[in-house]
Amino acid sequence: MTAPAKVWEYRTLITNLAQRDLRSRYKKSLLGWAWSLINPATTLGIYTLVFGVFLSVEAPLAGNGHSKVFALYLFCALVGWNSFAGGVNTAMQSFLAAGGLLTRTYFPPEVPVVAGSLTVLTQTAVEAGILLCFMIAIGNIGLSTLLIVPILVLLTLFSFGIGLLVALLNVRYRDVAYLVAVGLQVLFYATPIVYSESIVEKHPAAATALKFNPMTHFVGAMRHAVYLLQAPTLLNWIVMVGATAFTVVVGWTVFAHKAPQFIEEI
Amino acid sequence: MSHPIIVDGVSKQFRLQADRPNSVKEFFTRRDRDRAKTHFWALDDVSIEIPQGSMYALVGHNGSGKSTLLRCIAGIYRPDAGQVKVSGRISTLLELGAGFHPDLSGRENVYLNATILGMTRKEIDRAFDDIVSFAGVEQFIDSPVKVYSSGMYVRLGFSVAVHVQPEILIIDEVIAVGDEQFQRQCFEHLYKLRRDGVTIVVVTHGMATVQTMCDHAAWLDHGVLQEVGEAPAVALSYLRRVNQAEADRQDLEAARAVEKAKADADAGSGPADAGRPVIGRSREADKVPSRPRITTAGEHWGGGEVTITSVEFLDQSGKAVTVVGERSALRIRIGYEASGVYEQPTFGIAVHNESGLHVTGTNTRLAGRSTGTISGRGWVEYDVDRLPLLAGVYEISVAIEDQFSQHTFDRYDRGWTLRVRHDGEQAVVGLVDIGGDWTLGADHSG
Repeated sequence: MTAPAKVWEYRTLITNLAQRDLRSRYKKSLLGWAWSLINPATTLGIYTLVFGVFLSVEAPLAGNGHSKVFALYLFCALVGWNSFAGGVNTAMQSFLAAGGLLTRTYFPPEVPVVAGSLTVLTQTAVEAGILLCFMIAIGNIGLSTLLIVPILVLLTLFSFGIGLLVALLNVRYRDVAYLVAVGLQVLFYATPIVYSESIVEKHPAAATALKFNPMTHFVGAMRHAVYLLQAPTLLNWIVMVGATAFTVVVGWTVFAHKAPQFIEEI
Repeated sequence: MSHPIIVDGVSKQFRLQADRPNSVKEFFTRRDRDRAKTHFWALDDVSIEIPQGSMYALVGHNGSGKSTLLRCIAGIYRPDAGQVKVSGRISTLLELGAGFHPDLSGRENVYLNATILGMTRKEIDRAFDDIVSFAGVEQFIDSPVKVYSSGMYVRLGFSVAVHVQPEILIIDEVIAVGDEQFQRQCFEHLYKLRRDGVTIVVVTHGMATVQTMCDHAAWLDHGVLQEVGEAPAVALSYLRRVNQAEADRQDLEAARAVEKAKADADAGSGPADAGRPVIGRSREADKVPSRPRITTAGEHWGGGEVTITSVEFLDQSGKAVTVVGERSALRIRIGYEASGVYEQPTFGIAVHNESGLHVTGTNTRLAGRSTGTISGRGWVEYDVDRLPLLAGVYEISVAIEDQFSQHTFDRYDRGWTLRVRHDGEQAVVGLVDIGGDWTLGADHSG
């Protein structure tokens, strides 16, 4: 039986694990689920203040032809970024947390990582919903907005592929968690999130580097579809699909091959 | 007979955790290390076949590889060599409350745990009430499991594991956590499952469980299979090894104590020091006056209402012996002390030979002998005019039970060794002399 088929067999467990994570996440906290919104809202507020107001980074004209809201221009990219960073981090945590369980009962080791991805997807869906509410409020909505669904699904799969790899390595070398934290920080600024691609035009090396970062294309696609109300470029699509296919195939192959051995060391 | 579990030449190697690289430098410089030094074999070429519908025990001391073998069977570990063939739905109970999330309620955990074991939501809905009532936690099912007692934890875990309708059930030493009543309930349920054809594999340290409940057993020592076979025989071999090790250790300690005493005496220690052991001994004696310490090798259990205070083998002249001749008279004298008044208690003995064969056994109830009412101290004797046992080493078990042999007051399993000496007359071979004689005759019809 192939690994995906095995995982499909355990779909009830996956949904149950995801539910468990979601339910227990905010237990004993007064604000509960509100926390899942307070976090991104704070980030959005700080970046808008620093980059939009103090550094006066200017947002391009939105798709509706009259709005120019830096906060929403930023929010489009942040939804994508949060999905990615959350996906990678949650993959690591959920695999480590399920480690004890994996040494006591049998189920495919991919299961907790898939469940983790599902919880992140839920969170992303909530954030995307809020983004769309704002877009509707300023009347910046079009057919291209619908593309947000395939873009975020691809992004979730992309993060899942990377998540499998780092989750696996993190079990053996706990350095990986720190490395990932540093890596995500670098990648955040190496992706045009708090700025637009146009500001690096004067630095050809940096511009090239951005093009090679798959996240540039995911974030770009989000902005095209939701803010500019245009279809993402062909290059965006090619990179997104290519990168996703690559990480999922490589990540899963390595994971399926090595996980049973690594689990014994948890 | 079909074998739903076939373990074929399975070996499993683990890396010693201490050997993990601790720094980046070590990681890059320590490539060429001797694998034999950095790894150990948790299982070494183990092959067993577990028959359908049997209760199979894995025995051995801690760290002998039992749990590793269970995990290989359950598919959690991948063997380094050999293979495990399993056909049927497996349910595992390897650790207390494995898979329980402390913050979630009992109800949520039942659903979660049952899905881990492969049940669908509908199946769980149907079995839910049974699971909860079997575990006896109805009242607490909506409380988070972190407030559960360890007994409640294990009950709920066991209950889920046995209600997922497994074809194969794998249980590590967890039932021992529950109280007496729950343990009985568990064993009863295991019996029921076995009657329904469920194959059960258990790891246990309770040799009484192995001997009375299991059909087959395998004994592992340091990952190497020592013996496979009928459960009682395997349990006996294992016990014998344990007893031997214990005796060796005691001998060693005694030798050390003697040496130390000598050294102390040489050093001229004070009177206070010299007196201490004596006080210790007498205090101990005060505490349990009714239960003199019988030093025997065997397993010992019972309620203690009536205790066995001594067992002696007497020869014709009434002298206590440990060796008797073939075909000589033997009297087994059992001293007891009753803590109350008991009617018609049953006194019994059993004889096993060295390889665990049950040679004979009897008790006063089977023999139809009234034992009246007993209280306080007393003794019973079992007389044999002419011992039919041939030369060898025999192990004697002694038990005192209630009137119906349902409750054990005190029992020493294979607690005493009786050696039977060869008496020079080599007329019979085997285990016993059935005491027959030959007569020759001719048929006069022709």
